[in-house]
Amino acid sequence: MCATVTDTTDERDLRDETTLRDRVLANPMPALTWSAVALGLLALEFGAFLAGVLLVLDSALVGVSALVEVTVGLFSQAGAKTVLGFQQSASGVLDGFRSTANSLPTLLSRETIPNQGYQTSADGAWENTFMGLEPGIAWAIRATLVYVYAGAIAYWAFRGWDVFRTHYRNADWSPRDDVVDRLRDHRWAQFGIIVVLVFTTMALFAPALGPTTVGQNIESPYSHEIQYFDSESGEVETAFVGDANFNSKSKGNGNQNVGPMSYDDFGRFHPFGTLTNGRDLFTFIAMGARISLTVSALSIIFAGLIAIIMSLASAYYKGIVDLATILAADGITSIPQLLLLLMVAMAFQGHWLAGVFNGGFLLALVFGATSWPGLWRAVRGPALQVSEEEWIDAARSFGQRPSVTMRKHMLPYVLPYLLIYGSMSVGSIVIALSALSFIGSGLGINPPTPAWGRAISMGREYVSTQSWHIAFIPGTMIVVLVTGLNAFGDGIRDAIDPESEGGAEEEAAAGGTAG
Amino acid sequence: MNKLLYLAKRLVLGVPVVLFGLTMTFLILYLSPFDPMTAILGRDADPETARQVAVALGIRYPDGTPVPLWIQYKNFLVDTITFNFGQSWVVTRGQSVGTLVWERMPATVWLGFWSVVIALLVGIPLGLYAGLRSNTWGDYTASFGGIVWRAMPNFWLAVMLAGLLSAGGALSFYRGFLIPTEVIGTSNALKNMLGSVALGGISVPVPNFYNWAVAFKWILPAALVLGSSSMGNEVRIGRTAVLESINAPYIETAKAKGLSTKTIIGKHVARNAMIPLLPVIMGEFYLLIGGSLLVELVFGIRGMGNLYLSAIFASDVPIIGALTYVFILILVFFNIAQDIAYTVIDPRIGLEGGTE
Repeated sequence: MCATVTDTTDERDLRDETTLRDRVLANPMPALTWSAVALGLLALEFGAFLAGVLLVLDSALVGVSALVEVTVGLFSQAGAKTVLGFQQSASGVLDGFRSTANSLPTLLSRETIPNQGYQTSADGAWENTFMGLEPGIAWAIRATLVYVYAGAIAYWAFRGWDVFRTHYRNADWSPRDDVVDRLRDHRWAQFGIIVVLVFTTMALFAPALGPTTVGQNIESPYSHEIQYFDSESGEVETAFVGDANFNSKSKGNGNQNVGPMSYDDFGRFHPFGTLTNGRDLFTFIAMGARISLTVSALSIIFAGLIAIIMSLASAYYKGIVDLATILAADGITSIPQLLLLLMVAMAFQGHWLAGVFNGGFLLALVFGATSWPGLWRAVRGPALQVSEEEWIDAARSFGQRPSVTMRKHMLPYVLPYLLIYGSMSVGSIVIALSALSFIGSGLGINPPTPAWGRAISMGREYVSTQSWHIAFIPGTMIVVLVTGLNAFGDGIRDAIDPESEGGAEEEAAAGGTAG
Repeated sequence: MNKLLYLAKRLVLGVPVVLFGLTMTFLILYLSPFDPMTAILGRDADPETARQVAVALGIRYPDGTPVPLWIQYKNFLVDTITFNFGQSWVVTRGQSVGTLVWERMPATVWLGFWSVVIALLVGIPLGLYAGLRSNTWGDYTASFGGIVWRAMPNFWLAVMLAGLLSAGGALSFYRGFLIPTEVIGTSNALKNMLGSVALGGISVPVPNFYNWAVAFKWILPAALVLGSSSMGNEVRIGRTAVLESINAPYIETAKAKGLSTKTIIGKHVARNAMIPLLPVIMGEFYLLIGGSLLVELVFGIRGMGNLYLSAIFASDVPIIGALTYVFILILVFFNIAQDIAYTVIDPRIGLEGGTE
């Protein structure tokens, strides 16, 4: 697999001096083939891809301007208002683009493979579904295609790296090759990667994956209508989704239950059954995956950023900076994280920050602010170690700015450790996040936005009834995702740092907050 | 003497931790956008009542001028540290927070105690077993079970177990099994753990064993759930620790000396395996306090965790402050206990330096 280009000295010199562009131009075939397939894959989903990019842009805009607003708000209220106004108008423009992007046809949309339809007679054919198939089968086809597509994309991205490594990289070998090679026969890590990919796909394709949409089924059920075959009157009738939901509740007793893989009285298919309020559980879970993963990822990024800045600064300046960091970290860790989370969530209840991303942004900030000490403790040792090196002294005497020294000479050494511990503590954030939504009362993700913990809380009373699925399925999702994330973390650790063995500290990091 | 000195040193080192924790609590409760006045009185409060509440909370002086923040901070620190918690405002208005916390303590302590003990009794033997028979099916089952068990959210496990134990569930027989007990809610047996026997005119307290049994059976499901994540950790760490110590040269020596397998495992393997296990066991207390909130919520146990949640829902600042302080104290206490336990298990771990 490794680079096979035969090297003469001249060639090697040539390659060392060329840029990636030159190298691609010199040997364009592999790059062209790879890009052609990649473009083809992308074209299938261009509308969704564009919409996704716009959504990320929009979110980044709202998030960044929220932070700017808080900072400006400390000094002047008027300034904060201006920022808010800018945020709203810019976000409105992006929303406009997004709806255009969403209207572009894509292969994996519910318009191409529709699963919502009705029968014209009791055992008659299905109208409006994909090729007249049963809604359940139509949905299964779409879901399978989504996962096949996601698998193809993931494989092709990996191929891209392989093509780059074989044909266009300057070095024949880099330490990263070893990292990948170690993952090649690490079954446990591969299990983790697959689980993470499955859930990421679920999060990314949530709108196309569900048998119905969040807007139609959960957020505004009384502004959407469906047609169904009414067996009593023997005719096709029209009903509000809200009314249909009302008659499809899962409440355990008697005929009030729509279990997994079944149809309700309105000809709607529910892969995971319905919730206590008749909403579709699968749609709820898919959107919940999007929320959970986004908030967890943001949290770990915030925590990692704080941890890395704190550890580099305290290792570089030592003395009073170091002491202040230790004090801050000890203050935070002296209180169990869940208590701290609850306290901060309570303190910010009703604050406008709690409205950004349905409360997810505030939660990510709080998680970041409360979980950095764990990461900081893990990277503090390496940071201190590298700060003792001669080259740091050299850089200092040479007059390099501290920020440059930290970034160029300390960060590369510390980053792998952060990656290891960060990936090992994501699981505990997922659990704590769902715990907050489980407690509810305005502490977790705001209803009606789906959150896994809230589904479990809804199903509490029905565990030993026929509506067991409400609490059971979301919980199983969490268990599988967290197991996968832990496996992924173990894999990253073994791949990056093969000398290490699972020590007590890491376990504590992974165990983190109890949910 | 040396040990006493060490203990004193550790106690002194615990003081700043308590102070940091309380400072953190103060910062969140008094400096955030959160407004205790609205929480207590609602938006349209009568100004006179508002003034009285503000004075009682220590936010304003009786003449209406605001109390400077640093004086609020000082008062908060002094009052909390001297266990002078004041009165509850919302949860049970007018009741002393100290009494409230004291009333709720037994249930939490009982729950915490059994969850640690059960986790130890199940987790460590399983870990040792998996380590001693590494790479057998038994090992794989135990290890994999430990991994999945650890990934289960406490609150979900609690919901499932409570559901199965409820009427109509697969485990509903448990409530009538041997001694009839409830599983949801707080058992009265906890209050009546001590009976009294009249002995020549004086009543002497004696443990009421029937009530002990009832209380144990009542807490068992909740304790099992609460101990679950620690159990998973113990299996994993126990296994690695055994694998490490079993390949150590001193085991070789012990074998060469002709010691029996039993002695080797009991005296050398297990004891050395305990060293990496200790921080895990102590780390459990962090998990326990967080977890007890949720487990007490699901099982309806009237303990401190449940009280904390009600205080959070009602924004009852005095209760939140008091409970946070109690929890910090518990953590600091067990941290010190851990360091002492280290020195008992492994005399090499110096009394001089201590560990972090």
